[in-house]
Amino acid sequence: MSETLSNGHLDSLLRGQSRLPSSARGWLDALRADALEQANALSVPTTRDEEWRYTDLSPLYQKSFLPAPSAGTVAAQALDACLLPEAGCRLVFVDGHYAPRLSSACADPALGVTSFSDALAGQDPTLQANLARHAPLGADTFVAVNTAWLQDGVQVRVHAGRTAAAPIQVLCLSTRPDVVAYPRLLVVAEADSGCTLVEDYVALHGGEYLTNAVTEVALADGARVRHVRVQRESTSGFHIGTCGVRIGRGAHYLSSAVALGARISRFNLNIVQAAEGAESTLDGLALIGGRQLADMHSLLDHRYAHGRSRQLFKSVVDDEAHAVFNGKIFVHHGAQRTDSSQQSRSLLLSPRARVDSKPQLEIFADDVKCAHGAAVGQLEAEQVFYLKSRGLDEAGARNLLTFAFAAEIVHRIPLPSLAAQLERIVLQQTQKQTSDRNRP
Amino acid sequence: MSSVLQNLVNQPYRHGFVTDIDADVAPKGLNEDIIRLISHKKGEPEWLLEFRLKAFRHWLTMTEPAWANVKYPKIDFQDIIYYSAPKPKAKLASMDEVDPELLRTFEKLGVPLHEQKALAGVAVDVIFDSVSVTTTYKQRLAEVGIIFCSMSEAVRDHPELVRRYLGSVVPYTDNYYAALNSAVFTDGSFCFIPRGVKCPMELSTYFRINTQESGQFERTLIVAEESAQVSYLEGCTAPKFDTNQLHAAVVELVALDDADIKYSTVQNWYAGDENGVGGIYNFVTKRGLCKGVNSKISWTQVETGSAITWKYPSCVLLGENSIGEFYSVALTNHHQQADTGTKMIHVGRNTRSTIISKGISAGSSNNSYRGLVRIGGKADNARNFSQCDSMLIGDRCGASTFPYIQVHNSSAKVEHEATTSKIGEDQLFYFAQRGIGTEEAVSMIINGFCKDVFTQLPMEFAVEATKLLGLKLEGSVG
Repeated sequence: MSETLSNGHLDSLLRGQSRLPSSARGWLDALRADALEQANALSVPTTRDEEWRYTDLSPLYQKSFLPAPSAGTVAAQALDACLLPEAGCRLVFVDGHYAPRLSSACADPALGVTSFSDALAGQDPTLQANLARHAPLGADTFVAVNTAWLQDGVQVRVHAGRTAAAPIQVLCLSTRPDVVAYPRLLVVAEADSGCTLVEDYVALHGGEYLTNAVTEVALADGARVRHVRVQRESTSGFHIGTCGVRIGRGAHYLSSAVALGARISRFNLNIVQAAEGAESTLDGLALIGGRQLADMHSLLDHRYAHGRSRQLFKSVVDDEAHAVFNGKIFVHHGAQRTDSSQQSRSLLLSPRARVDSKPQLEIFADDVKCAHGAAVGQLEAEQVFYLKSRGLDEAGARNLLTFAFAAEIVHRIPLPSLAAQLERIVLQQTQKQTSDRNRP
Repeated sequence: MSSVLQNLVNQPYRHGFVTDIDADVAPKGLNEDIIRLISHKKGEPEWLLEFRLKAFRHWLTMTEPAWANVKYPKIDFQDIIYYSAPKPKAKLASMDEVDPELLRTFEKLGVPLHEQKALAGVAVDVIFDSVSVTTTYKQRLAEVGIIFCSMSEAVRDHPELVRRYLGSVVPYTDNYYAALNSAVFTDGSFCFIPRGVKCPMELSTYFRINTQESGQFERTLIVAEESAQVSYLEGCTAPKFDTNQLHAAVVELVALDDADIKYSTVQNWYAGDENGVGGIYNFVTKRGLCKGVNSKISWTQVETGSAITWKYPSCVLLGENSIGEFYSVALTNHHQQADTGTKMIHVGRNTRSTIISKGISAGSSNNSYRGLVRIGGKADNARNFSQCDSMLIGDRCGASTFPYIQVHNSSAKVEHEATTSKIGEDQLFYFAQRGIGTEEAVSMIINGFCKDVFTQLPMEFAVEATKLLGLKLEGSVG
């Protein structure tokens, strides 16, 4: 890939950034300026970068997208189809812009939901204290670009000692092609608080566009956050998302990341266990076909003693699709008694499907228990045979096994309606596979 | 845990001494003239000089790799002596004529050459500072048609074989150090097992690095023709020096149909002192090509020495049903750094590979496993199993695992597992209960940890390796 092509893309991404209106607070302008500087210093990644060696973004670099000037219009019917009945509070982004009109007011006393613009107008120091602290600018060009374009986003505070009664749904809609969306979300769970958060990326059209999303989650001591992230962009779209998480003492972060859509998608889940006894449980599922590429990167930084982490990432890869997994576990000097495990499992359904997996451990403490495993394969002939011996036909047996493989992750999602939706998608995908196979 | 474990690691290097032998030394530095000098000194044919020069010109266009998880001061390639040879002497008729100084060196190393003759039929091709000094058992090997000699002899006596296979597995364009080696290699071993021959004995070579500041650039080539079998042992010890010595060897293995090559290494080069001063830089390219159907290449290594190890014995599984194996124990102590592992490239159908890697880090050392398993699009039904375990002794060392898994075929089955553990207080307590002291307990635990690899070693090496680990770790647990 030529340097000029990628650099040209960065220029096009940043074009017009200087015309952003200055914000109510000087520190935000300074942050944007800093982000712009970082983005220019980093340049966009190519497959020559170790972190991107399997994910070739050149199809993206051939395009040029500009941010949508404002939120597009969304038909009520289209919006309703995306809403989860369990959600107590809905926050809607349209083409990267926060749309308060489409969002529902949040009545839960455990939660404080404000747009960045309202937070800037008030005296609450939470935003300044957290924004861009958990998803640092210096490491990732796309985070820097998102931050450089930062205008409005949503800040969710979960008040100390309280637990949100119902899940919070953050819906990021794309309504038009050829634009880039920069949704931005900040979740601050105060001490001993709890909440469930659903991030959902949906496209209402089939055109080409880019979503560059950044979410930051800060868990204070004893907090517990369940974070479900569903990426179902259009298969012509590009999705690059980063979630930066900081976990305090005895806090527990649980994540389920599901990737279904986008032509090329990348999700970076960067977790810092920043105090003793922090815990994280990460699930992931990529279900892709056609010529899709889904790239999942997890980085778990165990900085203090007595940390615990569990990771299970699965991918079901059909047609000529390409799944990438990179999981890095760091155990710092002094992070004794860390207990960390990571599993990556991939199921290849078609002869031309491809998986690249890179689970890594870097350990600098001796009293730890760390393990990782990676397996890539197809359905076990014995298992298919077993089901056939119980009266299922070949296709039925394969469907059931593929479904069971993916459903392990889906079933752990705590929202029944979302789990049921995803289950249906998994089922459709596996049945599509069978009908393809039966075609002469 | 502390003082006993501490002491276990702090054993001074036993093989540290410099043998004073007159060496024929080329001036420091590297340029085309030096390469011509090496080639001329060795009386090489024109094609080999061409190969060297092409490699050198390519090397000039390359940059030093920086991706490995190791840190070291920049190497000045112009500050190295690229050729040094013990002064040529008249052909030796018997062991009595060997330089007594040299014989004493081997005795200190525990390789009494004359005893080797009696010892279980091990033929030793001694590489002493780049030039092969003496070779035993040649006669017996020649009877069955096996060629086992130094690379220089092979170039002289069997140029057509060398020309056919040299660089066929590791081309000079492969990597920075392979290119450097191709340009300046001085000697090494050559082994050719003709069709249908099972080598009647274990072949072994002892490498030693002697003259101070002379980088060693061995080149080993082993070719096993159809249905041939060979087990090759490589053992290494080097004298104690304060300046870092660069060692960039290339080993190429070629296995044709149904051939079986087993390559074992025990590496105990000088690792530097407890403060990380001195020691060998071991940047080696080892690769085997399973060219024929049903061929098999097995690498076993016990890496305990060198200040820096950068080594990935690999298998290219080209032939159908071919098998690649990699068994490794890497131990690092003090300030040693090791970035080692393997590559299993599955190209042919029904190819299988196994990787068992055990890393032990102690002191302030850093031990990384870096491995690649690639299943190509045509490698139907390929299988791989990898297991990479690390053990940390003390809280100042590091252990990392970087496996790369690339699967481009849906019928492939690839499994990778890695764990990290330590020698637990509870384990030591259990041993103590039964009257076994800490030091012995640690040695037993480590031997148990490494058992899967040690059982792959030829018997003499297994004994040596077990002793070596005990020796290297003396004082690190307690």
